[in-house]
Parts: sequence; structure tokens; C-alpha cells
Amino acid sequence: MMWLSRNLNWLFAVVAAVLILAMPDIAGNEYALRFYTLMLIYTILALGLNVLVGYTGLVSLGQAGLYAIGAYTAAILATRLGFGFVPCLILGMVFAGSFGILLAYPTVRVRGVYLAVVTIAFGIIVENIAIEWDSLTGSWVGISNVPKPTLLGLPLNHKMYFYIVGGCALAAFAVNVNIMNSRFGRAMLATSQSEIAAASLGINVTALRTLAFVLSAVTAGAAGVLYVFLNKYISPDIFSFSDSIRFLLMVILGGAGTTLGPVVGAGALSYLPELLQQFGEWQRFVYGALLAIVMFVLPRGIVGSAADILHRFFPAARRETDGDKRPLGEIVSIGPAGGEVCLEAKDLSLHFGGLAALNNVNAQLSSGEIHGLIGPNGAGKSTLLNAVSGIYRVNSGRVFFLGVDTTDMRSHQLARRGLARTFQNTELFQEMTVLDNVWAGFHSDYRTGLFGAILRLPSYRKEEEKHRRAALDLLNFVGLTDYAYEKAKSLPFGFQRKLEIARALAVRPKLLLLDEPAAGLTQSEIDDLRDLIIQLSDHGITIVVVEHHMELVMAISSQMTVLDYGEVIAKGTAAEVQEDPKVIEAYFGSPEMLAPPPEERLDDAEREP
Amino acid sequence: MSSVVQYLLAGLGIGGIYALVALGFHIMWSSAKAVNFAHGDTLMLGAVLTIVFLDFGLPMSVAIALAIGVSVIFGVVLERVAIRPFAAQARSIGWMLTTIAIGIMLESYATISFGAFARPLPSPLAEKPVIILGAGVFPQELLIPLAAVAIVGLLYFFQRRTQLGRAMRAVAFNREAAGIVGINVTRIAMISFALASALGGLSGILVAPVIQASATMGLLLGIKGFAVAIIGGITSAPGVVIAGLLYGVIEKFVDGYISTAAREAVGFSIVILVLMIWPQGLFGRKEIVKV
Repeated sequence: MMWLSRNLNWLFAVVAAVLILAMPDIAGNEYALRFYTLMLIYTILALGLNVLVGYTGLVSLGQAGLYAIGAYTAAILATRLGFGFVPCLILGMVFAGSFGILLAYPTVRVRGVYLAVVTIAFGIIVENIAIEWDSLTGSWVGISNVPKPTLLGLPLNHKMYFYIVGGCALAAFAVNVNIMNSRFGRAMLATSQSEIAAASLGINVTALRTLAFVLSAVTAGAAGVLYVFLNKYISPDIFSFSDSIRFLLMVILGGAGTTLGPVVGAGALSYLPELLQQFGEWQRFVYGALLAIVMFVLPRGIVGSAADILHRFFPAARRETDGDKRPLGEIVSIGPAGGEVCLEAKDLSLHFGGLAALNNVNAQLSSGEIHGLIGPNGAGKSTLLNAVSGIYRVNSGRVFFLGVDTTDMRSHQLARRGLARTFQNTELFQEMTVLDNVWAGFHSDYRTGLFGAILRLPSYRKEEEKHRRAALDLLNFVGLTDYAYEKAKSLPFGFQRKLEIARALAVRPKLLLLDEPAAGLTQSEIDDLRDLIIQLSDHGITIVVVEHHMELVMAISSQMTVLDYGEVIAKGTAAEVQEDPKVIEAYFGSPEMLAPPPEERLDDAEREP
Repeated sequence: MSSVVQYLLAGLGIGGIYALVALGFHIMWSSAKAVNFAHGDTLMLGAVLTIVFLDFGLPMSVAIALAIGVSVIFGVVLERVAIRPFAAQARSIGWMLTTIAIGIMLESYATISFGAFARPLPSPLAEKPVIILGAGVFPQELLIPLAAVAIVGLLYFFQRRTQLGRAMRAVAFNREAAGIVGINVTRIAMISFALASALGGLSGILVAPVIQASATMGLLLGIKGFAVAIIGGITSAPGVVIAGLLYGVIEKFVDGYISTAAREAVGFSIVILVLMIWPQGLFGRKEIVKV
């Protein structure tokens, strides 16, 4: 059972390969074979779209536009310039891929439904340019008389062409599986679940989204080229908005984010029209009704929901979780940061509209210390962490990390320099396993790139194994070994906090920012946390703790900074800060403040020197 | 000169429809952070049903009232069955697909029962064009943008001066906090979808005398209305109305001077450009990520 579930994808690939080989004989006639060729073309397209929608979490409602770009490129090159099948395929993929880059550009700033509108707009633009650019595309009439495909000078008959498309589909499937089970797949899933946390681990979110768009565009382009040489004729009406919806539905219906889902979805939605013919004029109505029913009954798609049910009856077998149980110092080789000053904030100011969240904040952090950052609610503590870790842009002032001006750096660049953090409300990758959460943290540590991952080169496998073991060791270090294959969201809250720290350690931090690590923990969990922080500090990691739990923060901090209304009101050791009248006033208010009426308070304030 | 006036007035006419559709999307989004992707079909429902009721021999006013009533029921039912179960999950695209699926069903049912051809909705305001500075437009086309502006004014008044309107604004600002102070968030969502669908049905009835009613009239109007809502900034009611009117005018000029296909290509290119420069739309509120 275990072997089966782990190798399901490859088992499926073998079965599919055999089916493809036998299909021309099973199909019997040309019409049926043509139908199966088309089904495979849709499968290729859906597999590419799955990388975008399923893994990276970006919705494209304009995939027909990319499909059209591939198709028109091939049709024009083949009919006008006499290009053969293979050059057309390559150029179609390249051209569609470059539009993928163009389409990815808005994702740097545009999100969610806004991005969905960008993709809708893109699809409609392509469709209408195909209509308008008469001299090139033949407008509504389209392009016909596409020559028969040839390979190495030999004309391909229907059977051979089916095998070529089948080979492409198998290749697309293999690429899909290998990306999913690689650092790229993990990083994409991580990005889709928490962009901010992914960036805080050194993952370049923009680059990853561009990659996903390009991969989906290249496959859509390939599918378009294959379609042209199958159909020998194209016109704008097969690349409309409803086709984009149908392509998206293939992925969702089959199960977005699963490897087999797009295959099942493309098969089902290709076959459906044949099945629905008996409904006559009610065909489209039944199509809509089926989609609605599937969304209600199987919200995670056919394969996704089936996998959920399987997991309920056959819980994941306990896999190897031990790792090497190495001590922390050997896992991630963290050492003390060089230099005296680890982090310095100079005159930082940050406004949200009229509200000054930070007002000329100056703070310095010596290497190796545990620094407590306290202050009443709304004092600007989290804002300060977000400002120094590259999540917020400050309005003025500079930040120096290990002597380098990092004010304008993005979160992922800071992470790669050794700045790690956790979040106030925990930002775990909820749908990923505990192990994958930590494993994703090693993303920027890999040397092998995309091709190494797709081709499963030995160097890549070696790295994968190394980082997997390191992730397991980190889990062992925080005591979460037993939960390695559970989903992060199923962990109790205290364990989620620990997991977040383990994940942050994967970036080999020199500086670790902990935003309210004790919030929501029980007393015994807080004791564990204190020991953990001290242990990390002993390894030379400089630590900042934002905390409301005074007992904890006073006990562990060697230095403290107190913020109130975005300004630093006190600095010093725990004992010094505790005695500071300004700190006492910020937390408890001054006794006079409560008693006299407001006018007198104003007088008091004026009388102050 | 007369063609410039012609395009301007006709553009404001169609732009008024985009504005009304976008306003519906704004109302839905504010209450549920999700929209009915089949909102275009609500327009179709309003227009087609009015014709059907007129065929039954009902007077115009009754036909319109009944058509809007059915549109409201459609919106409320759709919110309950296709959006509420999915909108709760973050990053869910379930509601996009369920509402699209219901839109497909509605459109196909309308094609079967109403017919695949387009029919005009008779209107006393679309019989004889009036001549303004040499340009001929139907009074109906002049009425639409005025209706859009009047409705956004009423909405503004309603959202600020009535308890229900203030509750809607509270929900738009922060669902959880609104729930905590005792606002029935699901009821607000229901009312918002009812209101949006009433506007949708009304827009269909307003536009049908100009562009004719058919089972498929909703698709492009819906897509454009949504695109307009997004570039206007879906959180701002006046923003989406201004964007709608502008979009309609630009569209008519491109249509007139270049071609119909260029109209869509140019229009949607503007959509992408606007979003790249203003990711929250022209008048949208920038959301600060809190971690």
C-alpha cells in the first residue's frame, strides 16, 4: 500500500504509456483517434495551467490567449514561411512563453481578483487582435491549408502524430510531477499560502510567479501548435473567454494542485460533450449543472477529494522521520554574526495615512544579545519588525544589518543575508506538511536549478536528500518529529509556534526576530520556549523578542527597548527599564493623570520644561 | 463635430450600463468579498423577462416590477447556495466557478425557452432619436447615465444616513468587527446581493431598448462591468461609476474611428495598463498587510 501511494504517479505514467501505444488499435477509426489526440492536447494544456493555478495559487482566466498565440505562431510560420513541425513547435513555445513573462509582470503588484481581471483582459485582447489583424491572421476566416506535419522529412500519419502528442503529454506529466516534488513545487505552494512567510524564508516570490506563468504559457503554446497540426485550420472563435473558463475548469474539476487532477479533468471535459449529445438542446444546461454539482460535492476536484477520502480510511503510513538527530550546530552551521553591531535603525519613520506608526526611532542591537522589544498595544513594535525585515517601506531613516544599508532591500534578500523571523499570528503554510514547511525554508540554499529538478540529476537528488534530513533534524530539535507528515494546520497552537521557529532556523539566521512567540501558549509551553530561546542564543544567534509576557521577556533579555506611540521611550537592561518612570506611565498611566480634570492636565504639560 | 458629440453621448449611454453593472459588483464585493460572476445574466434576466411578461399582456410597469423582482430572487438564492458556502474559505475560487456554472445554466435555459434570437424591448424613449448638436441619440441613451449618477447618489445617501446603510459600510470595512458589534453579517450579505441584483435587472431593462435583448446579451456586459469595477477600484462606489462612464466613452470613440474588434483590444489593454499603474484601481483603497 505504501509503495503504491508513493509511486502512484509513475505507475500511472506506465499505464498511460501502454494505453497510448495501444490506442490507435483500440480507437479503430480516424475520427476516434482524432478525438483522443485532442484529449491529450488538452491534457498538456491543463498540466501547465495546474502549475499556475494549483501550485502557485494564481487564477488565469485567459489561458486561451496563450493557446491562441502558440497556434497562430505555428499556423503563420507553416503556411507563410514553410516552417516544419518541429521548428514551429519550438518557436510556438518560445513565443507563448515570452507572453507568459509579460503576463507575469503585473503579478508583482496586482493580486487576487484584480489579477483574474488582467488575465481575462489578456485573453480578450488576443482574441480580438486575431480578428482585427486581417492581413496576418485572416480575421474570422482564419488560416487553413496548414501542411501535414513532418518529422525529419518524413510525413506523419494520424497514428504517428498521435504518438508524438502522446509523448509530449507524458513528458508534460513527468515535468509536472518532478516540479511538484521539488524545491520549486514546495516554494510555489508556500507562496500561494503565505506570500509574506515565503519571502521571509528567502524565496523570491516574483521570480517564482514569473516561472509559473512562463511554464504554463510554454505548455499552452505547445498545445496550440499541436492543435494546429491536428486540425489544419484555425479561426478566432476557438480561443474565446468560454474556452479559457473550460481550461480552468479542467484543472479545478480534476483537482488543482494534484498531479493526476489535470489529466482526469482534461479527459472528463473532453469526453463530456460526447456524453451530453443525447441531451440535445439541454446540453449546455446539463454541462452547467454538472459543474455546479461537482463544485458542491467535490470542492477539491475529483482527484483531490478522492485523495482526501483515501487518507481518511488509510491514514498516511508512518514514514522515516528520524533524520540523524544531530545537534543544532551541525544541522545548519549557524555561527555568531561578525562585528559588534548586528542591526541598527537610524531615525526610522513610517506613517499610515496621518498616523505615525514609527516616529524617528533609533535602536541598536549588539551581536549575540537577546533583545526585548516591549511597549503597550499599538506602540509600533510589530511595525518596527516589519520595517527592518523588508515587509514595510519606511518613509524616512535607514536600516543597517551587519554593517550593510538594507533599507531598500526586500524581505527575501534580507533572509538570504541571515535575517529570519516569526509572526504574531503565525504564518505557517497551513496545507503543507510540517516537514515541507521546514524543507521549503531551505529553498535558497540549493545550487541545482530548474532543469536539474526536472531531469532529476544525481546532484539534485543528493541535495534534496541532504536538505530533507536537515529539515527532519530541525524538527527533532524542536520536538516535532512525530508530526512530520501531518498538515501544519492540524497542529495544536503551541506546536505551530515551535514549527515556525524551526522553519526560521532553516535560513541559518544570524538574527532571529520573534514576534510575540509566547502569545497563546500555556505556562509549561512558555517555559519550553524560554529554554529554546536561550539555547538558540547560546549558538550565537542574535535574537529580538517582541513580547507582552513580562516575566519571560524580563528573564531572558540582556537589553531592552521600550516603544510607545511609535517612539522609543526607554532603553537599557531589564532592571533599568522596569524602574523607568516613563515606562511605568506608558503601561499604567500616571496617578495624576487619572485624578484631575483635563484642563489641569494641560497646565501640567505646559509647566513641564 | 457631430460625430464627436455622437460618440460622446452614445458612449455615456453604454458607459452608464457598465457603471450600473460595476456598482452591483461593488455592492456585492463590499458585503461578501466575493461576487456573482453571472451578474451579466442578471441583466439578461431583467430584459428577457420584461419582454416575456409584456408578451403575456401585462402593462409595462407591472412587467418591469416583476422582472426586477425575479432578478432579486435570483441574486438572493445564488448568494445563499453558490457563494456563502465558498466565500468563507480564504483564497477560495470556488465561488467564481459555482456562479459561472449557474450562469451557464441560466443562459442555456433562456436560449431554449426565449429563443436564440435577439428581440427589442419596446420603449417610448427609444422610438425617435433627438438631435443634439447634429448627433442623433435616443432619449433612452441619455437616461441611462443620468440613472447611474442618480443611483450612486442615492446609494451614497443610503449608506450614510440609514442604519442599514451604515451597517453595510461597517461590514465592508471589517466583517469580523461588524459581527462583534452585533451586525448580522449574513443578512447584510443577503440584502446586498438583493440590491445588486435589482440594479442588475434594472440595467438590463434600461439597455435592452438600445442593444436588444437576447439570452447571450449578459456575457460581455458582465465581463466589462467587472473589469470596470476593478479598474475603478471595487471598494469605491463613485469610483466605479466614473470608470464605467469613461470606459463607455473611450469604447465608442475607438469603435467609431477604428473598428469593433479594436474596441475590445484597446479597451482591455487600458484595463491592464490601469491595473499595472494603480494595482487597487483608480479610486480603490490600498490595503495594508498586517502580520
